[in-house]
Amino acid sequence: MYRIKEHPILKSFQKGRLVKFEFDGNVMEGFEGEPISVALKANGVMVHRYTKKHSQPRGVFCSIGRCTDCVMIVDGQTNVRTCITPLAEGMKIETQYGVLNKR
Amino acid sequence: MERFELIVIGAGPAGLSAAIEAASCGMSVIVFDENTRPGGQLFKQIHKFFGSKEHKAKERGFNIGKNLLNEAEELGVRVELDSTVMGIFRNKEISVMKNDSVKHFKGNSIVIATGASENMVPFKGWTLPGVIGAGAAQTMMNIHGIKPGNRVLMVGSGNVGLVVGYQLIQAGCILEAIIDAAPRVGGYGVHAAKLARIGVPFYMSHTIKLAQGIDRVEGAIIVEVDKSWKPVSGSEKTLEVDTICIAVGLSPMSQLVRLAGCKTLDDPKKGGIVPLCNEYGETSISGIYAAGDVAGIEEASSAMIQGKIAGAAASKDQGYISEDEFKARQKKLENSLLQLREGMFGHKSTAQVTHTDEGYELSHSLLKKGYISDTELSHYPGIPTEDDLKDGLVPVIECTQNIPCNPCQDACPKGCIKVGDNITNLPSIETSVKCSGCGMCVVSCSGQAIFLVKQNHSPGYGLVSLPYEFSPLPDVGDIGYALDRLGNVVSKAEVISIKKTPVMDETAVLTMKVPSNLTMKARFFKPAMKEEKII
Ligand SMILES: Cc1cc2nc3c(=O)[nH]c(=O)nc-3n(C[C@H](O)[C@H](O)[C@H](O)COP(=O)(O)OP(=O)(O)OC[C@H]3O[C@@H](n4cnc5c(N)ncnc54)[C@H](O)[C@@H]3O)c2cc1C
Ligand code: SF4
Ligand code: SF4
Ligand code: FES
Repeated sequence: MYRIKEHPILKSFQKGRLVKFEFDGNVMEGFEGEPISVALKANGVMVHRYTKKHSQPRGVFCSIGRCTDCVMIVDGQTNVRTCITPLAEGMKIETQYGVLNKR
Repeated sequence: MERFELIVIGAGPAGLSAAIEAASCGMSVIVFDENTRPGGQLFKQIHKFFGSKEHKAKERGFNIGKNLLNEAEELGVRVELDSTVMGIFRNKEISVMKNDSVKHFKGNSIVIATGASENMVPFKGWTLPGVIGAGAAQTMMNIHGIKPGNRVLMVGSGNVGLVVGYQLIQAGCILEAIIDAAPRVGGYGVHAAKLARIGVPFYMSHTIKLAQGIDRVEGAIIVEVDKSWKPVSGSEKTLEVDTICIAVGLSPMSQLVRLAGCKTLDDPKKGGIVPLCNEYGETSISGIYAAGDVAGIEEASSAMIQGKIAGAAASKDQGYISEDEFKARQKKLENSLLQLREGMFGHKSTAQVTHTDEGYELSHSLLKKGYISDTELSHYPGIPTEDDLKDGLVPVIECTQNIPCNPCQDACPKGCIKVGDNITNLPSIETSVKCSGCGMCVVSCSGQAIFLVKQNHSPGYGLVSLPYEFSPLPDVGDIGYALDRLGNVVSKAEVISIKKTPVMDETAVLTMKVPSNLTMKARFFKPAMKEEKII
């Protein structure tokens, strides 16, 4: 739904192979090597984390690794900036609540 | 600790140009960039650039980036990516973080070319997922091939907002509106007109009040502001959008300049805190230069020239070129830079300008709503007269502000278009020369402001040729709608020809048949939906 199929200027986009990954327990597909946030977006995921104090939702904002709004738990590691971290096959990605993987 | 004659921080157009210039003089150069990809902003820019040939006008940003990278590579410049420069110390030593480990490097000279960061406006709900920076939108759609959303509100009508807005539509999004708190469109009129004729509404003197939604953007409320920037109550409008894109300006990334101990000043004309530099871009610390957006927000074209000047100056400092050779290079570059800074957008106080340098009154409608009104159109030198139109095929140049740009003049093999030596002049048409209809001006115009019009093609019908950069490209024989400058349907239209050759660089010339009396109104072709009946 969000992937650009045919771009008038850029034509197509170079992507790695299609791989499966896990988001909060659901299996999803994305292209190897693209930022995790792009694969999530393609699957309609908008909320990456909830803030610690007020539990407010956050998602991609700068997309270049500067704002830290997009951090999530990736393969058990917290605070991973998903907009600049490449997707790999079998990755386990979780919504981050404060610094935890649960509310 | 590794040592280089020149260390460049930032692999954008400024940094790469500095590296190329210095390496071509024989220096050993290393460039660091915190990004995974080199090129800075350039690889996100998919539109054709302004300027003249020497500024690489009418080339698309990402192609300029590719060429710079190739050149740097050929000259043996080392480019280190994923490498964030954390500090600059005395004796021109820097610390660089790569993969969680810190290394130190030493340079005889340093060029700081760290670019800019995006400004933000706080409003209720601005932290919701779906509120993004314009740069993020570009990164998603132009680098990674993903739409940031389906229905977008653009906040900010400067060139960034206008250009990214157009790119969103090219990516397949719907641009619901473009708003700006200022009473006038901030960017080039030609960029605005491209959006208006597709039907994007412009709301000037409007700001965003709030983003609706619980865990993502589900709408936006905008509100009019009065002369003292206060919201006018009761003027609220709700827009159904899933994405709010913020393009309210850039600020120089001057942290490293300050860390290095260079003197700075707060200059609103340059976008914020910038290093105090001499004419070669040298800061208050001898041997440390600043170039590009970090030294004052401008354009990639000027960033490249500033980079070259800094690279040449460093080469002179270290004896790779003579004082005379440097002066000669610098003078040429300086002239080229001055050309870009001419015109109504060069002095950054556009709010006051009412007339062009030639004395033509600026289009009010263009500044307020993004398109030139029918009554204003005939004032300008690029617009044919009634008599010219009777003669056959003529170019119509709807470029009415002093912007630094002249590819239209270079494009015409016949000499139908004149800008003159001063590249900010308004282009004018030379109707004594016969236009061949080749379409090169249409595709070369960075502002997509040139159309070809033939009023009498067959009884009652005329032809309009226009630049077309959307997918899918319509086919000859397709029937659709002709839209006027504000995006309203004015008639049915038939595609008569599509011309697209490699030299046109992905811009097609679409020629449509419309009623003769609408040839000076119809400015866009909208394909009909599948199976839609057109009456
Ligand atoms: C939407 C849009 C449209 C534009 N259209 C045009 C146009 O038509 N014509 C035109 O001429 N210009 C245009 N520009 C402007 C142009 O892109 C910029 O002015 C230009 O890129 C500035 O170049 P730069 O090299 O100074 O900075 P940048 O291109 O921003 O590059 C700076 C680089 O420095 C790196 N960096 C920053 N800090 C560090 C650090 N501490 N360590 C390591 N690396 C670091 C960054 O990662 C970045 O790659 C446009 C800009 C935008 C956003
Ligand atoms: S169509 Fe060709 S001949 Fe006519 S004005 Fe344009 S460039 Fe010149
Ligand atoms: S008409 Fe000429 S000067 Fe105006 S935007 Fe187009 S190419 Fe540039
Ligand atoms: S979106 Fe800003 S760091 Fe990822």
